[in-house]
Amino acid sequence: MTAGFESADIDHGAASTPDVGEQPPRSGGAGRLGPTGLAGRLASGAEVVGLYALCVIGALGLSALIIVLTGGDAIAVFNALIDGSIRGPGRIGATLGVAAPLLLVALGAIISNRAGLVNIGQEGQLFIGAAFATYVGTKMGGPGPVVLFALLVASVVGGALWSGIAAALKYRRNVPEVLTTLLLVTVAAQLAGYGLKHEWLLLAPPEGRANRQQISKQLDPDTRIPRVEVFGNEFPISVFGAVAAALLVGFLLARTVWGFRLRALGHNERTAQRAGVAASRYGAGALLIGGGFAGLAGGIMLAGGDFGNYTLVPGFPAEIGWTGLLVALVGRQRISATIVVAFVFACLRTGSGFVAATGVERRIADVVQGLLVLALLIPPALLFLRQRRRAMAAQEGRT
Amino acid sequence: MADESSDQVTPAVGTGPVTGPVPTGPAVAGRTAVRLDGISKRYGAVRACDQVDLELTCGRIHGVLGENGAGKSTLMKVMIGLVLPDKGSISINGERVRLLDPTDAARHGIGMVHQHFSLVEPLRVWENVALGDVGRLDPAATKERVREISDRYGLDVDPDAVVGELPVGMRQRVEIIKCLRRDPSILIFDEPTSVLTPAESELLFDTLRNVVVEEGRAVALVSHKLDEIMRATDEVTIMRQGAVVRHAQTADVNAAELAEAMVGRAVSLRSERVALGVVDADIDGTEVPDNHPELAPVVLEIEGLSVRTRDGRQLLDDLSLHVRQGEIVGVAGVEGNGQRTLADVLSSLVVVSSGEIRVDGVTVKTGSAGAMATAGAGVIPEDRHDSGVVLDMTVAENLALVDIADIATVGVINRRTMRETAERLITEFDISCSGPDAPLFSLSGGNQQRVVLARELSRQPKVLVAAQPTRGLDVGAIEYMTDRLRQAAEAGVGILLISSELEEILDLAHRIVVISDGRIIGQMDRSEADLGRLGLLMGGQVA
Repeated sequence: MTAGFESADIDHGAASTPDVGEQPPRSGGAGRLGPTGLAGRLASGAEVVGLYALCVIGALGLSALIIVLTGGDAIAVFNALIDGSIRGPGRIGATLGVAAPLLLVALGAIISNRAGLVNIGQEGQLFIGAAFATYVGTKMGGPGPVVLFALLVASVVGGALWSGIAAALKYRRNVPEVLTTLLLVTVAAQLAGYGLKHEWLLLAPPEGRANRQQISKQLDPDTRIPRVEVFGNEFPISVFGAVAAALLVGFLLARTVWGFRLRALGHNERTAQRAGVAASRYGAGALLIGGGFAGLAGGIMLAGGDFGNYTLVPGFPAEIGWTGLLVALVGRQRISATIVVAFVFACLRTGSGFVAATGVERRIADVVQGLLVLALLIPPALLFLRQRRRAMAAQEGRT
Repeated sequence: MADESSDQVTPAVGTGPVTGPVPTGPAVAGRTAVRLDGISKRYGAVRACDQVDLELTCGRIHGVLGENGAGKSTLMKVMIGLVLPDKGSISINGERVRLLDPTDAARHGIGMVHQHFSLVEPLRVWENVALGDVGRLDPAATKERVREISDRYGLDVDPDAVVGELPVGMRQRVEIIKCLRRDPSILIFDEPTSVLTPAESELLFDTLRNVVVEEGRAVALVSHKLDEIMRATDEVTIMRQGAVVRHAQTADVNAAELAEAMVGRAVSLRSERVALGVVDADIDGTEVPDNHPELAPVVLEIEGLSVRTRDGRQLLDDLSLHVRQGEIVGVAGVEGNGQRTLADVLSSLVVVSSGEIRVDGVTVKTGSAGAMATAGAGVIPEDRHDSGVVLDMTVAENLALVDIADIATVGVINRRTMRETAERLITEFDISCSGPDAPLFSLSGGNQQRVVLARELSRQPKVLVAAQPTRGLDVGAIEYMTDRLRQAAEAGVGILLISSELEEILDLAHRIVVISDGRIIGQMDRSEADLGRLGLLMGGQVA
């Protein structure tokens, strides 16, 4: 008998279930089964960084290949992307203006996800939020700051209402939220479109339409989010708000009873229920908050000025909802990482505006983005698979 | 593969001389059916099997005995092609083979009846039997075959019965038919009696005897229960920590010797002996626990509890019982008779259709999150991963799970308190882990169970529900668990012990109730416990 086995038997001798083959794989697990000690951790840390670098280089290489194959100049395209996002004068401001709603959407997705829910309808929740904000912003009247505050609150309510439908269906009728949130995106677009056809709802009076069939009245200048200028970069102060919100959410999730219970619920609903965490309350709450954040993203897009001209039009969400979901996915639920990823994805978006000038289809930026997302998702997936294989092997050995 | 190890044959193995080429039938009895030579399999640093030799002989039942984690399952998986060994060889009827998957093994005449059934419940028996077939379905022929096998071995299974409506013991027979239908010359049974009543186990062993004696098949019976091995086998191989520690003819050894070989040291503690089955429900030899709290106040009262599923299945049927302060009430019964639902109700996981539960005199709203825990009912669930712990949270978080709101100031968790409490409980309950921040999944099963125990007991419950609390634990852990339960009862906690291991109940309980089909069909004081009557009750007969 080797020492290795004996220690293993003492530590793990009691297999957790009689038949380990049936044990559900679990996430994040068993990383500690890998190399231990400082040297081991450094080595595996370097390995992780190397893996990420490899994947990103691969994605950029593939992007370059595609650009060249479609008759473009890869270097020029990458230069345009960087010019458009950070290098060009004032472009960082534009990028920040895009990053803020992305971050808010991602925060909502993270909260839903903590509770074990998959809310993928942010695009629709954002649209409804923006529509609510438009209605309040254009109809309410009164002192500018009050209207601004009211329209932001309305955007939160609108987004929460929209995800609330999914929450009600889930906890009353057991309909999976993955389906309902997704399908409600289409309904949201139709509903906003309907509102934009009727003056008593969102449609601007004839003189404010500027030859467009479906457009809302523009927000009055004093009901817009103030913009600031820092080193020649101009952006709405909602950027600070979004970062503050991110830090707050990070704190709430990590340190409070609410965050603790949300996590317990997300990992094991039955254990949570026994310990006093009602799925219907905490889960529905998480969905509502998630929708609220998406709605708020819509509100600051409308009143912030980086998306359209302070007006609501069909197609207003401009895929910020989808991209925000990707941000949360790539940020892997960590707030600090999510802030960075939101900025990177905003860069791709603002940069893509400059790509057209190189004579390449501007959609090429979407291809780059897609490949980058894949590149950033592959390493965690690989690491997870390897860890799980190790864990399974170790478990298997204990039966 | 692994030629180098093929010459290492342990002299102790290798009993029967080769008699003839006939595959089955009494004539071949004594011939070696399958031989495993020097099988080694390691997973990382863990050696699941280390140079294991095993020989199954036609016409004999070979017991494979060992604790959880001794490597029995891995060895069996090697034999049916589920696991490829790193080293060693397998020969069947003297011929070297390489088993790549279970189909391969089946071709060579090896069949296994698994501990966990693989039956499709809404389908009929014959449909389940035909499931693995390819080509055209022939219902008449399949049914005929089921009937034929059923008659031959006295299994008494109706091919047209719907599997979902059959009791567990019957389902196992369906599994056996599935296996026998392919006419295997080598049969492996993995912990077959865990789902059976004592009477059903007897029947199973009769069937096995039949299979072996009449038809010269070779049978491997994997078990961690000594009495079973003593009763049903001809020879026995004992495994510990991945290696064979002893091989003997069953007639030449006694239970105590086997227990020692299995655990690796002398077994003296009584609960250990009970856990191992050395004391085989030895009613008269067991001292009856005293301090019988007849007049103590009732801490848990269940009255007329009924639970129906949405599709109308009755899981619990007008079930009533009570537990007094300091009393251990054992709920005996064959698995699948409502025990799980009962534990779920007491874990606030199920809303009851009717009936009432009072903890310490106060009616508790069933199914409302945390209501039972708040009322003072602790639970050690049957499957801790299901409703006992959160694997992806830390030890400290799991220990604080239920009372997290109590260690927070305006909603912000006081992490130092959480940590200190965890450190105290880790010491007090001797939880082996790298610290309060260790993720729970990094702990062994026994230590995870201790985390549950520590959390539930530290909340000073009025009543503690322990559902199959020692399942899957090794002997030392079982000992610890039963001691803790006894101590808790002495300290005045009312304990509801739900277990399908009769020995465990006889060992711990002051009073025994028997559950069958979702209702309590009999009860008796421990001092009046009568194994015959218990067995009948467990089989669903009101005796």
